[in-house]
Amino acid sequence: MKFIQSLAVIAPLALAPTLMPAVVSAQEYSKGLIDKGRYLATASDCVACHTNHAGGKPMAGGLAMASPVGTIVSTNITPSKAFGIGNYSEPEFADAVRKGVRADGANLYPAMPYVSYAVMSDDDIHALYAYFMQGVEPVDEKAPDTSLPFPMNIRASMMGWNMLFRPSGPLADDPKQSAEWNRGRYLAEGAAHCSTCHTPRGALMQEQKSRHLSGGQVGAWYAPDITNDKVHGIGSWSQEDLVTYLKTGRLDHRAQAAGSMAEAISYSFQHLTEADLNAIATYVRSVPSSDPTAVSSMTRFDRGEADNNLSGFRGKGFAAGIKGDHSGAQIFTANCASCHGFNAQGTTDGYYPSLFHNAATAGDNSVNLISAILNGVDRHTQDGHVFMPPFGDEANAVVSLDNVQVASLANYILRDYGNIKLTVNPEDVQVVRDGGPRSNIVTLARIGIAAGAVVLVAVLLLVGLLVRGRRKVADLKST
Amino acid sequence: MVAKTSADVVIVGTGVVGVVIAEQLLDAGHSVLMIEAGPRVTRAEVVENWRNAPLSVKGDTSVAYPPRPWAPHPTGAEKPEDAYLQLRGPDSYGQTFIRYAGGSTWHWAGTSWRMTPEDMRLNSLYGVGRDWAFDYDTLEPYYVRTENKLGICGPADPAQQWPARRSAPYPMPELPFSPGEVRFTEIAKTLGYNNIPVTQARNSGIPYDGRPACCANNNCVPVCPVAAKYDAETALNRLEKKGATILVDSVVYQVETNAQNKIEAVSYFDQHKQSHRISGKLFVLACNGLENPKLLLMSKNDRNPNGVANSSDQVGRNMMDHPQLTLTVTTKEPFWSGVGPVVNSGIMETSQGDFRSQHAGAYFRYNNFARNRFVTFAALKKGLVGKALDAEIRRMTACTADIVAAHEVLPDANNRLTLSEKTDWLGLPKPSIYYDVGDYTRRSAEVYSLPIAKRIAEAMGAIDVKISPKFNQSKHIMGGTIMGNDAATSVVDADCRAHDHENLFIPGGGAMASTACGNSTITMVALAIKAGDAIVSQMRGA
Amino acid sequence: MNSQPQDPTHRFTLSRRSLLRGSASILAAGIVAALCPTLSLAAIDGDIRTKFMQLSNLLINHELSPAVGGRIVETAERQYKNLPDMLDAIIKVAQSRNAIVVEDFFADIPDGELKDFAHWVIASWYSGCSSDKRDAIVFTYEEALTFKTTSDVITIPSYGISGPNLWTRPTVPLSAPMPRF
Repeated sequence: MKFIQSLAVIAPLALAPTLMPAVVSAQEYSKGLIDKGRYLATASDCVACHTNHAGGKPMAGGLAMASPVGTIVSTNITPSKAFGIGNYSEPEFADAVRKGVRADGANLYPAMPYVSYAVMSDDDIHALYAYFMQGVEPVDEKAPDTSLPFPMNIRASMMGWNMLFRPSGPLADDPKQSAEWNRGRYLAEGAAHCSTCHTPRGALMQEQKSRHLSGGQVGAWYAPDITNDKVHGIGSWSQEDLVTYLKTGRLDHRAQAAGSMAEAISYSFQHLTEADLNAIATYVRSVPSSDPTAVSSMTRFDRGEADNNLSGFRGKGFAAGIKGDHSGAQIFTANCASCHGFNAQGTTDGYYPSLFHNAATAGDNSVNLISAILNGVDRHTQDGHVFMPPFGDEANAVVSLDNVQVASLANYILRDYGNIKLTVNPEDVQVVRDGGPRSNIVTLARIGIAAGAVVLVAVLLLVGLLVRGRRKVADLKST
Repeated sequence: MVAKTSADVVIVGTGVVGVVIAEQLLDAGHSVLMIEAGPRVTRAEVVENWRNAPLSVKGDTSVAYPPRPWAPHPTGAEKPEDAYLQLRGPDSYGQTFIRYAGGSTWHWAGTSWRMTPEDMRLNSLYGVGRDWAFDYDTLEPYYVRTENKLGICGPADPAQQWPARRSAPYPMPELPFSPGEVRFTEIAKTLGYNNIPVTQARNSGIPYDGRPACCANNNCVPVCPVAAKYDAETALNRLEKKGATILVDSVVYQVETNAQNKIEAVSYFDQHKQSHRISGKLFVLACNGLENPKLLLMSKNDRNPNGVANSSDQVGRNMMDHPQLTLTVTTKEPFWSGVGPVVNSGIMETSQGDFRSQHAGAYFRYNNFARNRFVTFAALKKGLVGKALDAEIRRMTACTADIVAAHEVLPDANNRLTLSEKTDWLGLPKPSIYYDVGDYTRRSAEVYSLPIAKRIAEAMGAIDVKISPKFNQSKHIMGGTIMGNDAATSVVDADCRAHDHENLFIPGGGAMASTACGNSTITMVALAIKAGDAIVSQMRGA
Repeated sequence: MNSQPQDPTHRFTLSRRSLLRGSASILAAGIVAALCPTLSLAAIDGDIRTKFMQLSNLLINHELSPAVGGRIVETAERQYKNLPDMLDAIIKVAQSRNAIVVEDFFADIPDGELKDFAHWVIASWYSGCSSDKRDAIVFTYEEALTFKTTSDVITIPSYGISGPNLWTRPTVPLSAPMPRF
């Protein structure tokens, strides 16, 4: 399941969808244009969401994504005329990508990051259109529909949200910045849509612009602070560090990508040009924190050291080891140490990372640690397929650890190798197991609607009473 | 929750044969109930059991798998008077097998040699032993399915394949050699032999089937800590998610026949010695070649006075294995065994030839276990300290190696499993096995395998060679419910269906009509898949 | 010394805390013993541990984990009734030879009980076990010194050594330096 985090509703207004005439260009696009579109689609990572990775065909949709309000299924965006976007004109395509409006006029949910793609230029949209019309294999298979709980299922409810939160259009280049920085911003804020995950969301699930790139929850994972703050962000990283990370999905003895970021590396970043990666890095490294750290201290990349608690239980039997004080260490040794080393030092070639000097164990929260344990890591890179198996409820879990065991294990890792200030409870584990924190926006919306309905009824009653009352008075007066 | 007491197909045993057939049948839409004598444990526990064992006993794989009282299996620690297997005869049929959910692939090395066409026609070609009920080309597609099911890696170069006669490539490439194997390969070449990569059920370079790739922790035997090696435990969760019911700590003690002499039900004891009965339309015994015949013999009744499926009197007979001799070689130059998986290469061509009319073939494998645990106490006993001690441990670790010669054995009706007078914790009879490897195999050691092995040791620059004084078994249990077209001389047919009972299948090592020299597991699984196909057709027709 | 390959886990064998604790107590005991050679230090637990580590470091000139030492001394206390005396006696032999390394004094340990005990201590650290018998007590597996002598080439079984299919390595000659540990 892919996890995304956007949804919103303001007021449920019913709006009959208006049908747009299908005007499809019959022209042949040049190979150069299609290739340009292919590259931009890669940069935009369309394939990550619009493909069911369990055997589905590229861009044919069908990927179920858990969101805080329910499951959203991605659509078929191959040029299939029956089940895809084969009948879309270029303006219709542009509106879908940049405004979140389908050809039939219905609104898309912001699981589709149109608020980011809104900045894409007409030229780039043109290239993307050429690619999707003539560079993608049509797949004549219907993707399942999305059905969210009321009132989210009323797509027109997006209209109000869009009015508040959708940007109006492309960014103008900043003349004070280099061409590279502007290109970087265009890609980072647009196609690569970093802020979709890395920016925290408000009550209405909109990105909080004031805390741009300061970190956000993405389903079961946490997209960390990537501002240039020297402690909480990636201010300690050099340009080369960030480019290496984007190209390979890892930075030795500092961090590695998992969850949605692993997909972004696999399908998108590792295929971008050196120049574009440098541009993105130049831009991202310029983004400041809204709450910069005044006092220097350890970052999430340099905490912890090699250590073990083996003498507490080695030679005393597994049953004894699992109980009591050393259970976290015992669980670690039994399940994790074969790859990550008995001192958590990893392998000398770094393929299996150390768990100290590792952002996964020393972030400002423990979400990624818990998620890595439960979900594993799966990342296709130029150097091969990086794979850590899961330890949750999956059929291929090496061992299925329950919430108490995961909490015990996580606390051991945090204490011995990571952020010693954090503690994990079994309840925290369950939240991650469920796919991340639920939004209460559905409940609130329903309460809001109910309350609104109650108010409306009350108002109507009152009006009715008043009207009747006045008539009575009038009657009396007239007699 | 209502306990299930019946299913379309009842499978006794949750080892590799049982889980492969179970999945085949579930995918074909049948309900499946599996009954396992032993417990279901986590990989974490097994790994730690082994790490917690003293260094000197780490060679005893059973330390990682302490048996439950109701499901005994042989252990290295058992006192002779408490032994589970009652062994008789000039050669020991001592075995290691695991009565746990997941079976013995928990501790196998993963070696996955196929038979060759000649291996299946010993009688026609060499006048010894038995021919199989079908030829290699019939079995070949089932080998392909097995290799893809378990995730088996092997070389793409036909010159390195065993055998090269195959209709599909391996799903994954071969694994890198240790320094010792690189050197051993060079030495074998000087003698005219090809030391080739072992085909093995181990994820090579990539994850496969949702399991990670091998990281060379050299622990395959007794357990792969990361499930890069295929073992049947990895199937259990998936089977349950597909709807299988798996009963554990449930020891089947009786197979019940009805008036038409079809199998009606099986009965099992739980760990509280309570009996339960499970009925079904079709039954599969998947406990391999020792526990299957034991169960069939225990199940004798008026209709089947010699045991269920035993009108041929072949149940329990023809017990086979791969008798092996080990050469522990100390070399002047370092080899360094222990990098990579524990069995990673071998010389197979010596298993084939016309000499098989006279004596057994043999396969030579370079045991790639890390040597520290084999040499540490010997080094300490030399009274060394300080730098000299460090140097000696390092030297012995680098310069000692085990070369194992594994032989084929002919089926002999006198090599026989019967029910002994002794009983186990549940009161069930302990199996008694009479075993004699036979002159055919002894002659091989005398005139063929040991001379070759000694030449190999010499070419390695050995300064010391120790040879096992007697044959040990390779723990590849075969025979016991042998396959054949003639119901008078065999227990099961070409689909591993019991000749006597059309709804009873007994696939696995017990059905094998010849042993060849290579490990038996993927042949067992190929037979299981073939039986599975037959079961699916049969259930459709039923 | 610099040309010796590093045991891959060497730098990370001891946590800073345990190393400091261990070293401090060894140093303190050493100073006391040097100042008062005839003083018989009472056999209280903490003192025995310290002495045991001191003896172990004399017999084995490598970095030794105090946590593992604690496990060994637990068994030593049970198995050897005159443990404190034996510790004192052997340490005394080492001091009388101004021993820096074990080769300086080992031959001078009297044969019999003391020599046997010294061998037992060495065997415990190298094998991680109290004996080569089936009922041996296991003090450590991962940190047994036998594995450190070959850590540049061979893994500790059940622990991975490299990424997928990346374990190819040269045949290291016997003349190559011993890993540092």
